[in-house]
Amino acid sequence: MFYDLHMHSCLSPCAEDEMTPNNIVNMASIIGLDLIAVTDHNSTKQLPAIDKVAKQVGMKLLYGVEIETNEEVHVLGLFNTLEKSQKFQEWIDFYMPEVELDEDFFGHQWIMNEKDEIIAHERRLLLVSLYATLEQTVDAIHKYGGRAILAHVLDRANSVTNQLGFIPMDLPYDGLEVKSEEQRLRVIESNPWITEDSTNWFIDSDAHRLVEMSEADHYLRDSVYQKLWGEDL
Amino acid sequence: MTIAELIEKTNWKLDTPELDTSMEIEGAYCGDLLSWVMGKGQPGQAWITVQVHSNVIAVALLRDFACIIVAENANVTPEFINKFIEEEMILIESGLPEYETAKTLASLGI
Repeated sequence: MFYDLHMHSCLSPCAEDEMTPNNIVNMASIIGLDLIAVTDHNSTKQLPAIDKVAKQVGMKLLYGVEIETNEEVHVLGLFNTLEKSQKFQEWIDFYMPEVELDEDFFGHQWIMNEKDEIIAHERRLLLVSLYATLEQTVDAIHKYGGRAILAHVLDRANSVTNQLGFIPMDLPYDGLEVKSEEQRLRVIESNPWITEDSTNWFIDSDAHRLVEMSEADHYLRDSVYQKLWGEDL
Repeated sequence: MTIAELIEKTNWKLDTPELDTSMEIEGAYCGDLLSWVMGKGQPGQAWITVQVHSNVIAVALLRDFACIIVAENANVTPEFINKFIEEEMILIESGLPEYETAKTLASLGI
């Protein structure tokens, strides 16, 4: 399956308004992707609409979120049902600091329906770090039946290597996300306890605009999908 | 100044009293992004941070710091302290913001 498991909808303040449920899913379909995940910052509230559109279009979906831990590390939580992702929202709400959104500064946080109509504005700023450590976050994603992928691990902002120096040896993550094949080799070189086969690797776009979504270049083997999402933990 | 003298003068909380505190402190480094600290910290320095992830200990050993000073009452857990004791790295809590902690060190001639 050609995939892109990291992108933001118009619920994320930093994403463009064009990142509506229909635009995202249809663009993924045009590009030739088989599997996508929409992963807004600290929120799963766009996923009901994404789910409806994906079912209409016939796009395979994982139900995602990009959590920011209290170390300011970004972690993707990817669930295989909408219900699990919506249940996980309760965990997010518990650990989320209440900061009011300043729309002029940060942008909109729109929640849409399957017709791309705005049905709610998220008033709490989503670009915050939760009161949960990286370890607590990975543990919680597992408890709610999801898989934890450390996001863009070599980025110069909000990556595990920038915030924490290197990838913790005993952290039970399910995969590492990089931006390119070259980055994957660098991760292996600089974290000698990680090998090509010791984890699952993902190359995603982290798209905030439609044009940034991945081309159908990155292939996920069915066996890996089955191992990670075929059954509950 | 040695770590023992620093504790005596500041009354800061020493979380690892079982470890030897006779080591000299050779300056200080302030930082919470561990990638930066790994690249810039120097041996013998006291490292001031609010970061309390367990990777802190590995970075402290790698840079051969004299001690870690956790500022702002960041959440230091018993497991975190135990790792310091295991690795024989001294852990201190100043209870002050990072800037105030650094100013105190400077006023003591570090």
